[in-house]
Amino acid sequence: MTTASPESPAGGGPHAVRLLRVTDLVRDFPGLRALDGVSVEIASGEIVAIVGHNGSGKSTLVKILAGVDAADGGRVELAEHEGTRTELHVIHQDLGLVSELTAVENLRLAPDPSRSRLAPHHRSRERDHAQTLISRFGTPFEVDVPIARLAPAQRSVVAIARALDGWKHDRNVLILDEPTEALHANEVDVLFGAVRRAAATGAGVLFISHRLDEVLELADRVIVLRNGRKVADLPTRDLDHETLVTHVTGSDLHQRPESGPKRVLGKIALDIVGLTGPHVHGFDLALREGEVVGVAGVLGSGRDTLPSLVFGAVPASAESFRVAGRDYLRRSPRESVRRGVAFVAGDRVTLGAVATMNARENMTLPDLRPFTGRFGALRRRAERATAGDLARRYDVRPPAPEQRFAQFSGGNQQKIVFAKWLRNEPRVLLLEEPTQGVDIGAKQFIYSEIDAAASRGMAVLVCSSDAKELVRLCDRVAVMRNGEVVNELSGEGLTESALVAEGYGLTTTITP
Amino acid sequence: MSSTDSIATRWRRALSFRNISAIYIFIVIFATFSIVTPETFLQEGVWRTLLDAQAITVIAAIGVMIPLTTGSFNLAIGAEIGFAGILVAVLQVKQDMPFIVAISLTLLAGAFIGLVSGLIITKGRIDSFVATLGLSSILLAGLAWMSSSKQVIGLQDGFREIATSTYFGITVPTYLMVVLALVVWYVLERTPVGRRMYAAGYNPAGARLAGVNVVVLRISALVAGGIIAAMAGVLLTSRLNTGEPTVGPGLLLPALTAVFLGSTQLAGGRFNVWGTVLAVYVLATGIKGLQLVGAQPWISDLFNGVALLSAVGLSQWEKTAARTAAVRRALPFTRQGDDTEPPAEPGDRSPSVVAHR
Repeated sequence: MTTASPESPAGGGPHAVRLLRVTDLVRDFPGLRALDGVSVEIASGEIVAIVGHNGSGKSTLVKILAGVDAADGGRVELAEHEGTRTELHVIHQDLGLVSELTAVENLRLAPDPSRSRLAPHHRSRERDHAQTLISRFGTPFEVDVPIARLAPAQRSVVAIARALDGWKHDRNVLILDEPTEALHANEVDVLFGAVRRAAATGAGVLFISHRLDEVLELADRVIVLRNGRKVADLPTRDLDHETLVTHVTGSDLHQRPESGPKRVLGKIALDIVGLTGPHVHGFDLALREGEVVGVAGVLGSGRDTLPSLVFGAVPASAESFRVAGRDYLRRSPRESVRRGVAFVAGDRVTLGAVATMNARENMTLPDLRPFTGRFGALRRRAERATAGDLARRYDVRPPAPEQRFAQFSGGNQQKIVFAKWLRNEPRVLLLEEPTQGVDIGAKQFIYSEIDAAASRGMAVLVCSSDAKELVRLCDRVAVMRNGEVVNELSGEGLTESALVAEGYGLTTTITP
Repeated sequence: MSSTDSIATRWRRALSFRNISAIYIFIVIFATFSIVTPETFLQEGVWRTLLDAQAITVIAAIGVMIPLTTGSFNLAIGAEIGFAGILVAVLQVKQDMPFIVAISLTLLAGAFIGLVSGLIITKGRIDSFVATLGLSSILLAGLAWMSSSKQVIGLQDGFREIATSTYFGITVPTYLMVVLALVVWYVLERTPVGRRMYAAGYNPAGARLAGVNVVVLRISALVAGGIIAAMAGVLLTSRLNTGEPTVGPGLLLPALTAVFLGSTQLAGGRFNVWGTVLAVYVLATGIKGLQLVGAQPWISDLFNGVALLSAVGLSQWEKTAARTAAVRRALPFTRQGDDTEPPAEPGDRSPSVVAHR
C-alpha cells in the first residue's frame, strides 16, 4: 500500500480499500504492441498518475478502461462495496461538456434514474444541487451562464462535479485524461483542489498527464509507461523531476540549459514600435538575428495574442514595423510568409496545420514554388523527395509523409509543423506555445531545433506559458501584464520563479 | 499509403469496393438491364443520347464542385443555369443580338453572379449555404421577370447548332465536358493552386496561417463556378432550342448528388472531377435502365435521392473524423496534443480505411 501525501487528507492510509485492479493488460495493433502486460492498482483515496510519451500506451489504457477499446488480454477487476460495484468515471481531455449550456444544464445531462425521462425540470432544486456540487470542489461560481463563458478551470470543475454527481457511494474511480492540457498554471490549482477533494471523499483518482511537475505535485504514486510497458511504479516521495524524466525517456536527458557556445547576434531582424491590437498595447521589440526572445505572462496578458498580431493573422496597428530593415505595415499571413516570417501557432490541429491533409501536403503548403514546374504543374516527385527528407531530418515518427496529419501523435505533429516552417529558413520564427501537448522526447528535439535555428542566425520570438521553457530557450524574456511589457529578464535574473512572480505581479518592486 | 507498399497492395486498394464502388455498381446495373431488357438497353442510340444528355449535368456538377473544394456550397447553381439559359435567349430574341455576343454577355453575367456570391460569403461573412440560397431565390425572380415565365422561342439557327452538331458522332457538349473536366482536374490535382484550394476548403484558418489567400481562392472558385454554370445554361438552351425557364433549376439536385457521390470515389472523401463524372453517368445509367423497363418519370428523383443518401453514408468514415475536429474546434481552450493514437495507427486494422488517407 502506498502512503498518502499531505495534500490528500483522507489519503490511502493503511485501511484503504483497493477499488480497481488491472492485471497484465495487453493490446495489440498490427506491428505494434500498444500495451504489454500492464498492471495498475488504485485504492480508495489514492491519486495515481500515469505518465509516458505519446505512444507509450497511456491513451490506449484509458480507452480500454473507458470501454472505447477492448483489450486483447489481461483482466480489469472492480471492487464490490456493500453490494454495489465500483464505477469508473472518465473525464476526457475535451471534458465532454456542451459549451452553449449552463453549468446547471450540463450537470443535468447525466441521466437521473430516479426520475422519469419526461419529468419537467425542477429549476431551483437543480440550481441548488449544482451549486452544492460545485462548492464541494472549490470556490463557487456562476452556474447560470453558458459554460463557454467560464474559465477553463471552472469548466473542468463542472466536468468533475458531473462525474461525481449521483454516486451511490464514494468508492469509485475517477479517471482524468490530461485534464490540465488546456489550463493555465493558476487554473491548474483550482482543478487540483477539486481532484484532492474527490480523493478525500474516498474516490480513487487516475490522472494521466504529460506534465511531470504537476504529476509530482498532485499524485501519491506515479506509474511510468514506456513502449507499452510499465517501467516504474513508485511513491511520489521517492521521485524528483530528474529521475522521473529518466524513467519516462529511458535515458538521462538533461532539461537544464547546457551552457553551449554563445550565439552571435546579428542585425535587427524584427523591429517593432508601438504594436497595438486586441489585448496588446504599445508593444516594442528589437529582435536580432540569432537571438531568442521570450514573452511571458498569464493568459490574457497579451502574451497569447502577440504572435498572431506580429504575424498579421489578427489586425493590429504599429507606429513602426520593420522586417529585415524594410517597412512592413500592412500585414497579412501571406505577406509575412513571403517576407520570411514563420509562425508556429499554439493550436496546431486547427491553426498550425490542415489536419485532414497529409504530412507532405502540410509541409510544402507555405511555399510550393520549388515544386512548380512547366505549365504550373506540381513536380510531385520532387515534392515527395523533399517531404521524405524533411520527415527524416525532423525525426517524424512514423516517417510516412503520406499519412494524414491528424493521425500523427502530438509531438510528431509539432515536428511536422516545425519542418514546414523551417524548410525555407525564415528570417523570423514566431513560436506560440511551441511544446504544448508534446511529449518529452519531442520537446527535447524541438528545443535543440530552436537552438540550432538561432545559431544559424534566425531571430526567434517565443511566447509561452511555460516558464521553464522560456528559461531553457531564451536570451531574454519580456514579461507582459495587462497588454504591456512590465519587465524584461535576462542573464542571472532570468529564472523560473522570477518569471512566474513577474507574470502575476507578485513582486513589489517593478523595475521598468 | 507509403511508397513502401507493394504494388499488389496498392492495386488492391485502388480496386477496393470503397474506392470505386460506383464502377462496381455500374457493372451490376449494366448487367441487370442487359439481361432484363437487352433489346432496348443495349442499343447504340440509347447510349449516345445518354452521353450527350448527361454532358450538361456533368458541366453543372463541376460548376458546383469547384467552390465546394474551397469550402463554399453553391445552392444557386440551378438558378444560375436557368438564369443564363433565359438570358442568352432573351438577348438574342428580344434584344436582337448576334448569338456570339449574347453568349459572351451571358458568360460574363455568370462570372458576375459568382463574384457577387463570393463577396457575400467572404466579405459579408454569410454562410455559403444561406448566401447562395438567398441568391438562388433572387435569380429565380429575375429569370421569371425576363421570361415572363414563358418559353423564349425564335432562337438563331447558328445558336441551335452549338449543342446539336456532332463530330465523329459525338456532340459538342460532350467534347466541352471532356475538355472542362481535363482542365479542372489538372488545376485541382496537379497545380499549387489546386493544393491551396483543397487546403482552404479543409481548414480555412490553418490554410490562411500557412500563407494561403483563402478569400481570393474562394471568390475565384465561385466566379469559375458561375462561368461554368452559365456555360451549362447556354448549352441547355441551345440543345432545347428554346429558353425554357423550368429546366435549369432542376439540375441542382442531380449536380449536387453527383458531386457528393463522386467525392466518395477514387480520392477517398476529396471532391474530385473523375469521381463526379463517374457518378453522373452511373446515376444516369440506372435511371435510364429503370425508365426502359417502364418506370414512371419520377423514378429519376427517387433514384437520385437514394443514391445521395447512400453516398453520404459511404463517406461516413471521413465525415466522422471531420466532425470530431469540428467539435474540438467548437470547444474553446482545448489545445491538446492529440496522442490518442499510438504511433502505428489503430486504423491499420482495416486497411481499406487507410487506403484513402
